Amino acid sequence: MMHKRAYILATVLMFIGSFSLVGQSEIKDTFKLLTHDTEFEAGQNILLKFSGNSETNPLLYCTNSYGSVVIQGTNKNKILTFEMPKSIANKTGLVNWKLLTNATNLSGKFYITPKQEVITMETYLGPPSIEAGGTDYAMLVVIPTDPLDNPLQDSTQVNVKHQFLTSEYNNVVYTNYLIAYKNLYSETKSGRMLINSEALGTNSKEYTLNVLPAIPTNFKISYQQHHNYADGNQITTFTTSVIRDKYDNIVSDGTYVDVFITNKDNNILKTSGTTINGIATAKMIHPDHEDTWAVKAFIEGMAESDPLSLNFKQVITDFEVVFSDNSRTITVGPLQSFMKQMIPDGLQVKLHVYQNNTKIKTLIKSSFEGYVIFKLNEDIIPVPNDINDTFKIIIETARIEKSFENIKL
Amino acid sequence: MNINRNILRSILVLSYVLVIGFIMYGFSALYSYLNTGADRSSMLHTDIKKIDQYLPKITWEALKNEGRPMDEQTLGRIETNYLDAWYIKHLGYQTNTKKGLDDYYTENARKNIYAIIDENLDAGMTIQSTTLQHDLNLEFFSEDGQLVVITDKNVVEYKRIYKNETLLLETTDVSTYKVILLLEDGFWRIRHMVKESSADFKSDNKTVSNKNIDIRGINYYPQASPWDMFGEQFDANIISKDFKRIKDAGLNSIRIFVPYEAFGKANVDTEKLKKLVQVMDVAEAEHIKVMVTLFDFYGDYSVLDWTLNHRHAETIISTLKHHNALLAWDIKNEPNLDFESRNKTNVMAWLDHMINLVKSLDSEHPVTIGWSNAESATLLIDKVDFISFHYYEALDDLETTYKTLKTDITDKPIAITEFGMSSYSGLWNPFGNSETDQAEYHKDSQTIFSENNIPFMSWTLYDFTDIPKEVVGRLPWRKNAQKRFGFIDEHGVEKEAYEYINSP
Repeated sequence: MMHKRAYILATVLMFIGSFSLVGQSEIKDTFKLLTHDTEFEAGQNILLKFSGNSETNPLLYCTNSYGSVVIQGTNKNKILTFEMPKSIANKTGLVNWKLLTNATNLSGKFYITPKQEVITMETYLGPPSIEAGGTDYAMLVVIPTDPLDNPLQDSTQVNVKHQFLTSEYNNVVYTNYLIAYKNLYSETKSGRMLINSEALGTNSKEYTLNVLPAIPTNFKISYQQHHNYADGNQITTFTTSVIRDKYDNIVSDGTYVDVFITNKDNNILKTSGTTINGIATAKMIHPDHEDTWAVKAFIEGMAESDPLSLNFKQVITDFEVVFSDNSRTITVGPLQSFMKQMIPDGLQVKLHVYQNNTKIKTLIKSSFEGYVIFKLNEDIIPVPNDINDTFKIIIETARIEKSFENIKL
Repeated sequence: MNINRNILRSILVLSYVLVIGFIMYGFSALYSYLNTGADRSSMLHTDIKKIDQYLPKITWEALKNEGRPMDEQTLGRIETNYLDAWYIKHLGYQTNTKKGLDDYYTENARKNIYAIIDENLDAGMTIQSTTLQHDLNLEFFSEDGQLVVITDKNVVEYKRIYKNETLLLETTDVSTYKVILLLEDGFWRIRHMVKESSADFKSDNKTVSNKNIDIRGINYYPQASPWDMFGEQFDANIISKDFKRIKDAGLNSIRIFVPYEAFGKANVDTEKLKKLVQVMDVAEAEHIKVMVTLFDFYGDYSVLDWTLNHRHAETIISTLKHHNALLAWDIKNEPNLDFESRNKTNVMAWLDHMINLVKSLDSEHPVTIGWSNAESATLLIDKVDFISFHYYEALDDLETTYKTLKTDITDKPIAITEFGMSSYSGLWNPFGNSETDQAEYHKDSQTIFSENNIPFMSWTLYDFTDIPKEVVGRLPWRKNAQKRFGFIDEHGVEKEAYEYINSP
């Protein structure tokens, strides 16, 4: 019963209420803006006040940089007050508002400026390494932001400080379209640049920029070897001079140097090395016969060395060949080096077999303890059909050839 | 007894055959279902298609940015991502969801949007919005290619704000934004966005002075392909003959329709566009003026679809605006019929902004909206250059209706761009009108027109044999009535009404 009454009462009230609303709209609510400030600082408690002629409570539409909201105000003694929510009050930029009344179209705008306080120096530095010489540069972009993550107003002073070698610099730049930037040029020296920026007393963390040497200039090449005999065993080491760029900076470690060796037969041998402290080394094994090498090193596309020439002396002048076992075992040696010592293992010896002036087989073996023994197995060189057939055998090592004709196998 | 037995037998055999048939059908259906599925090309997702979903008008100022020189490809990527950011934001505010925002706003920037979404969700607010125009200028591109600053000027932003599905406010403003974008994980994401200025949008449309429009015309579809004029059956020769006939009947203009979807929506099909130009050329040769009705068979109007509609209209208008045969633009056929299903505010806002667009592209040709009745004709009268409505009611009221309108609208011409009577009487409407009734109707109409100097366009030249279901639905009494509105019957013979096609 109570409920029923309450419902009836509520319905009647609503009915009356709706009439009263209609009535008011006919009179027309008139509101007047009382807040005349058009600029606020972000994070401030922003109140928009209107004086009206009624106790109605219309909504207020607000739109800022990111979106729009509609807020409900309070009406006390015909003073309508709206408090901007954080989503509006905290973000910089223009805010437009419209009072959603059924009558006059009251609208306006105010501007929210960033706090004059920097909490983060959002910094972007790139590229992370540049070339020495004063033409290459990296760009430091700074977005100083206030505690509410708003970029500061344009024309805010930003000090860009950097240290390089013995010098320290301070450059003043100003924010424009929300950011400040400074191009940091290299000097002629390579090294590490340390960078920092500051706005309104807040400093960024330290940023580093590597100034790498510029492209290498031409260099010299030299060689070291234990002897200049063509023993096919020792190694010659090529060493570059300290490679520098045109500002005298030693090129970066790891610069790749190719060494091209052209021998007497115009064949090219290639070796390479990478620099450490500007010096690259590359190695090459000695030839096994007399030869002359023309050597030149390159840093591809950038620099090259002076030419270099070196000679190798023949070590083997002669060798003995012994046929045994019906000429089917051929012992070559002793193969002796420059002091009559047995040549180190691994000297290549070739044996060519000719039958009726046609080469039928070539055997290649490496020397072992000064000797090479060829066994001409019947499976390899079969007994000829014609008993009178003879063979020619040529033995070749260290560019020395020995020929044996009319050999019967 | 014997006969009974035979009947029984044959029923048994038949039912056996039927049962087996059904089982076989079932198995084969199952088999073919199991054999359908991804074909190889779709399995590999080799054909990733970019779907156009948001295409506001974009202009870039000539590149004079500070920092690193910009290249076309990067600029294109920035544009795409920037627009996607707007699109995702519109979607977010429309549905109060945060999905996808993290792809286009950096971690700090997205918090601002989340905060507004949370607030709106609590208050029961939803915002339907779109932007129609962006004039972009690249201010700065960092040396490492990871940061850009752009100014986005003249952002025409349309918004509709609802509280618990009640419309609170409809507003269009023009703003300027400064935006910082960062390249993160291959996306250009918005880092900061600051609105620098904003004002209410005011269209600077100028009315095309058109005090005396001389329209004595007819709505036209080829007889063989009604509502599919630019389809497979397109034949310029037939259209040319028809136009000659129209000209010979003493008429000076026609009204044709450009279907939105069949023309390829935002990316207008060039083949169809060529056919449209061909129709215009033929009309020019016969000295007939053409009123082009845009957006036929379109009925979405949703705010996020607008930019696509605008690109469609843009292509068609810029192609035809210098054509000598062009008479006027009819923005949409009978949009008031969509008021109920698509919401009046929505449709009106769509029309309003579409007129702005059409006028911004073509300031010479008049614009109108072909309302389905005289009551709606007063809508948007400030925007259109002349008023047009369709009249299918009793002729007795026509004169009063027209005169009332004339007193309401003094400064703009008013045309009736569709009227007519079906001569269908038959199975579905035994008490329908005869051809004589139709002729009588046209005679009376013409009398009223000539007495009141009313520009007119009748419906229509031909009787049709096939009416697509999209036009009047599937109901046979409607379809059949729609078939008999012509002045010329399905055999090409002039009906009685033909005599009154042009004058009483």
